[in-house]
Formats: sequence, C-alpha cells, structure tokens
Amino acid sequence: MSEDKHSGAPQEETGAKKSKINLNRLEMPKQEPEARKRNFSEVATGYTHEMAMEEASRCIQCKKRNCQQGCPVNIDIPDFIKFLQQGDIEGASRVLKTKTSLPGICGRVCPQELQCENSCTLNRKGAPVAIGRLERFIADWERMEGAVTTPQIAPSTGKRVAVVGTGPSGLTVASDLAIRGHEVTMFEALHVAGGVLMYGIPEFRLPKEIVQREVQYVKTLGVDIRLDTVIGINYSLDELLNSRYEAVYLATGAGLPMFLRVPGENLNMVYSANEFLTRTNLMKAYLYPEYDTPLKMGKRVAVIGGGNVAMDSARCAVRLGARKVYVIYRRTRQEMPARLEEVENAEEEGIEFNFLCSPTGFISDGRNNVAAMELIRMQLGEPDASGRRRPEVIKGSEYTMDVDTVVVSLGTSPNPLISSTTPDLETSRKGTVVIDEKGKTSKARVWAGGDIVSGGATVISAMGEGRRAASAMHEFLSQ
Amino acid sequence: MFSVVTHEELSPKVHKMTVKAPSVAEKSKPGQFVILIVDEKGERVPFTISGWDVEAGTVDFVYIEVGKTTQQLATLKPGDDLAHFVGPLGKPTVVDHFGHVVAVASGYGIAALVPVLKALKEKENRVTTILQAPDRERVFGQAELEAVSDRMILAIGSNGEDMASSTTRPLRKLLANHHRDPIQRVIVMGSICLMRVISEMTRPYSIKTMVHLTPLMVDGTGMCGACRLSVKGGGTRFACVHGPEFDGHEVDGWDVLMARRCTYADESIQQQGFQCRGCSQW
Repeated sequence: MSEDKHSGAPQEETGAKKSKINLNRLEMPKQEPEARKRNFSEVATGYTHEMAMEEASRCIQCKKRNCQQGCPVNIDIPDFIKFLQQGDIEGASRVLKTKTSLPGICGRVCPQELQCENSCTLNRKGAPVAIGRLERFIADWERMEGAVTTPQIAPSTGKRVAVVGTGPSGLTVASDLAIRGHEVTMFEALHVAGGVLMYGIPEFRLPKEIVQREVQYVKTLGVDIRLDTVIGINYSLDELLNSRYEAVYLATGAGLPMFLRVPGENLNMVYSANEFLTRTNLMKAYLYPEYDTPLKMGKRVAVIGGGNVAMDSARCAVRLGARKVYVIYRRTRQEMPARLEEVENAEEEGIEFNFLCSPTGFISDGRNNVAAMELIRMQLGEPDASGRRRPEVIKGSEYTMDVDTVVVSLGTSPNPLISSTTPDLETSRKGTVVIDEKGKTSKARVWAGGDIVSGGATVISAMGEGRRAASAMHEFLSQ
Repeated sequence: MFSVVTHEELSPKVHKMTVKAPSVAEKSKPGQFVILIVDEKGERVPFTISGWDVEAGTVDFVYIEVGKTTQQLATLKPGDDLAHFVGPLGKPTVVDHFGHVVAVASGYGIAALVPVLKALKEKENRVTTILQAPDRERVFGQAELEAVSDRMILAIGSNGEDMASSTTRPLRKLLANHHRDPIQRVIVMGSICLMRVISEMTRPYSIKTMVHLTPLMVDGTGMCGACRLSVKGGGTRFACVHGPEFDGHEVDGWDVLMARRCTYADESIQQQGFQCRGCSQW
C-alpha cells in the first residue's frame, strides 16, 4: 500500500506550482568560528526537522533526475526527497539504504557541489537543492530514533569473499555483496575499522561515533570484520585465494606519505599529515592525557599543501591550540584541490593562506627541532597535464619564515605490502594497482578500488569504484 | 583480545611477556616486531619479538619499564588481556652465511638477538656475542644468548663509567685482532646511542654493521612516517617497512634520529621521573 502511495510521478506537480520555484537554499547551522576553534565538536550542526522539510520542499521532482546521474553511487535522490516532502523520513531512509550503507558519512564529506548538486536543475539558477544536507538529516534522524532499516538480504549463496581494508570502498563492497547473499570477511590492519574515515577525517567534520554506527550497520548485514590483521603479512593474497575465499577486493587505501625531499625535512616537529591526523583523530591526542597518545605541537604551524587533508591538518592545529596556522601552497586559491567549503571554514577560523610559494628547506633550532622554513616564491606558467597552470620558481625570491611545527600534506604513494608479496598483481609505475573498467585487477579473482587504485581521491569516488566492482564480483560469483 | 600467557621480571624493570597470538606466531621471523595496545585508550607501542612458538600460538617480547604504557604492561598478570596485538611487522633481519659475526646486545636487544643468532648459527656462522649491562644486577638472558653463541663476552659497566666505554672495550679488542681473525659482520641491538657508537667504530674497518632501529612509531605499517630516517644519498626510509634493520654506515643524521626518538620523552616518560641521560638508560 505505502509503496503504491509513494511510487510513481508526483500527482499534483502542476504548472502553477512549478512556476513558484523557491531559490532560497537553506544554510545549515554552524558553530561560530570563535567557539569552534576551541573544540573538536562538529562544525556544522545539521538541519532541524523544520529546516529539512522546508529544504526538501524546494525539490521540483523534475523528470530528468540529473542529480541521480551525478551521484557516483547512483542514489535515487528524487525518490528519497519525495518521501521527505511527505514527511516520511523512514521511507526516505529506505530509499537511501538501497544504494548506500554510509549515508551519515556521505552526507557530510561528499563534494556534492561537484556531483549531485552540480547536476540539480535548480543549480542553473544558482540554488541547487541541498541534497547532501538532506541525506545527512535522514541518517542522523535514523540514528537518533534508533529506527535502523536494513534491506532484504538475499539467501546465502555459499560463496565467500575477502575484503582487504575497511575504509569507504571496502565497506561499500562488503555491504553490496552481503546483501546479495555472499559471506564477507573484512581485514583491517589497524585496531579500528573505518580506514581514512577514522584516522584521517577529523572529528569536527565527521564524528567518529557516526563512522562506527555505519560500520556497525555493515556488520548487521552479516559482514565479519577482523581487526589487527595485515594482509601481505599475516596472510598473503594467495593464501586468501587458496584457502577460504572465492574472490578478493583490495581496498587498502593510500599508503606512505610523500615528503618534499628538501634538506631538514626529518627534523623534529616536521610531521606528515598522516601522522599529525592519525595522532589527533585515530589515537585521540586532543583528549590526551585521557587517551595515552600525545601530539607535540608548537605555536606557529605551517601546513604544506592545498588539498582537503591540508585543510583538515590546519584546522586540527587551530583546535589543538596553535597561535598561528599557515597554509603554504605553490599555486593560488583557484587551483587548490580542497573543497571550497573547507577553504572557507579554514579562513573563518583564522588560518592564513600563503599562495605561490614553496618550501626549499627547514632550519634547525640547534637541537634538531625545526625553527624556520626556507621558501621560494612561485608564479604560474602554462597549464600542465592536470590542466592547472604549472608553478614556476621565481629566481632570487628566497625568504624564510619562523615556524616551530610543520605538517607536510603532499599526498601519499601506495603501500607496497601487498604488491610486493604478490608478483602477479600488475601495478603502475606509481605503485597503484591497475584495474579494468569493472575494477578487475590483472590477477584472477581479485578486484580493487579506492585510493590503492586512484592514488588518492574522495570518499565517494572510492565508494563508487566499490559499487562497480561489487557488481562485477557478484556476476563472477553467480556463474 | 590477546591474553597474557606468562609474564616474568628478568632483572629490575626488565620483563618478558608471552602473549597468545597464533597468527603472529605463525609468520614471525628474527628481527621483526609487534605493535600492541594495552587498552582502548592506549597508545600503539612497538616491541621487537624475542621468541615465538607456532604450535602454542604464542609470541614473546622483552620490555623495559620506562613510560606509562610499559608501567601499565608491568601490572598485567597471566590471563589478563591486551586490547590489540598486531604483527609480525617490519622486514626480518638478513640471515646468511657470513662467516664470523660479532653481535652486540644491550637492553631489550639481549632477548631480541636470540632468534637472530639462532638463525645465524643454523647458517653455520661463528658468533661472538658481547652482552652489555650497566651493572651486574641488570644482567639477564645470559644463558639464552650463550646457547646461540660460540663465544660470549660480558661487558658490565662499573661505577662512574658510561655505557659506551664498557661495551666498546671488548669490541675494540676484537677489532684490533681483525687482521688475524677477520669479522665479516657486526649486528647491534640496543640503544640508538650504542648503535651509533659501534657503527662509527667499525667504519674504518669497512665491516658491514647492521643496526636495529627503533624510532617512534604510530601505525607501524608505513602509513604515518613517524619512524622515518635519512640515509646516505639524501633518501628517507621508514623503519617500520624498510627496516627495522639498516646498515649502520648508511644511516645519515644520527643526531636527528636520536632527537626524534626523544620527541615525546618529556610527555610520556619525563613525567614518570625519567631523566634523559643521553640514551645511557639502556
């Protein structure tokens, strides 16, 4: 009955109503900068029920469904919004859960402005429906209500799958295959499941309780998660394939942090973003000494890089009590790979952006701690392979800057643990695992996705690759 | 959960713990390490494996009570659980037929060298071992080391003498005799300070000297880079995945390495009354 009521095209969407398009996109309430600079609580506090209903009502339920096509995991966006318009949040959640097991995470960290919201019909008028905020509202409502809906799980196929890595890509594959009736075991090297969602993205952007709820949800689908287990060490890939598992999905994520390769880079208080964020987020250094892991940081912090990880590091440094935080980026604000929203948040929090400059060395205080940074100014030349204008050194423009802590955020290169113990797994020159358009690797019965393939991208693209691979794996397992 | 099977004090503040961890035991090789977390609020701390039993599914390591975590470890009894235990991490020590190998063991290294020397003996090396301790009271593991050595030299510090000279005296004699009884390889497991001193001593003789570096680590799988060090030629290596064994003559910037090791000394150790004595603690 209820399905009849909610399916199909809206009945009353008349021309008269369409002409009254509401372009008042509702902002999400946020903690004021001065307050949030002193805590690790979530910056954006989420829509209230009234706000969610008002924002949902802005969706014109157009026939094109461009938003859905803009979503890497193809969420039936108009359908869940329609349920919201009718006040049925549980129904909306059911729609979401058919395509994502991680709505609370996606609603917070997806770059919607480049995906669903970019494709929204109302975006032509500059005011797309706030799809991400609505997704988050639904996930949070479900969590608060404790009314967790789970999709129908297919009867057991008797097939067993191993998923290596419990980040967003692995969780997506695990839940997709569990729903289709396969027995899924996930392997995690760290002591907590969630991968980058736990160690990388800070609490104030993605509360760890939400990550663990969604991990727990994946477990309720029948997925077994084995922590403290390193594939490539405790079991080789071949051991997995030759023992219990018919197929394997590799989603071990980004690996070894890259450094600048300039003198003084190994001085004390020069951190990789991975270490800085892992101490802060995974090990909860911001709660030291309640938690045992400390993070030593000075008062003048320079973060090198212009991506989301750099923004996260800089904003953590502010909250950990740095007096001055600089972001050092060799191009300009326009070329920064970070989400605009995060750049704006960082600016509001008093972080100073230094563009068109690049570190050339670090100077010791005489006791092997960093005391200053040597830089050189840059200018933009012709576009490079990435389409962005290439930064070029301006000769003779060297200068120094006093800093007592440096966080290097230049990306990562893949961890060689699995590839070095699996000779027949094809990798690129950069060390990433090579896959075909369905996520299949060069090795029989092995698929891969996420940062181990891309070298470093977004949570949602890792999920999208997982979704695609899960379909191919299901097809293979059903043969 | 990983339960403590046995736990004993070998000498003051030095303890040996045996933990049930079958999947770690099964893959362990000499020179590798584990990372453990005592409870859910604990830090990730690395320890070099000193022994394992595949059949019993157990792994041993020896630790010295220094900071908060090791003091907490010291309170555990058989049957108690560690929240997390992962390994074996890092590359195993390179073992081959070298000929005459001189091993220098100090602190945790006294125990951690036992499986290394056992493997070297299996490859028919002649092993001369120098066991260093600050005083007689703190000698432990002598019998175990002796069982895997052809010759054993005790280097025990006397009052007022620093650790380096008590250890280096017997090595200096061996090096002086190098032209008559050549040494093909030196392996050192002990404090960074000791490993540095010995690397410098053997350099003029061009004797390959392997050191076992134990910088600070967080994840221990190559993700964070906390354990990085500089090597000759301007490269950066991670002790957790490229080591922990390195050629001591290739290590560049021992000062930085020592400073990095002590970054958190004032946080987790000095508040416990520890005073840095230039790594002379062990």
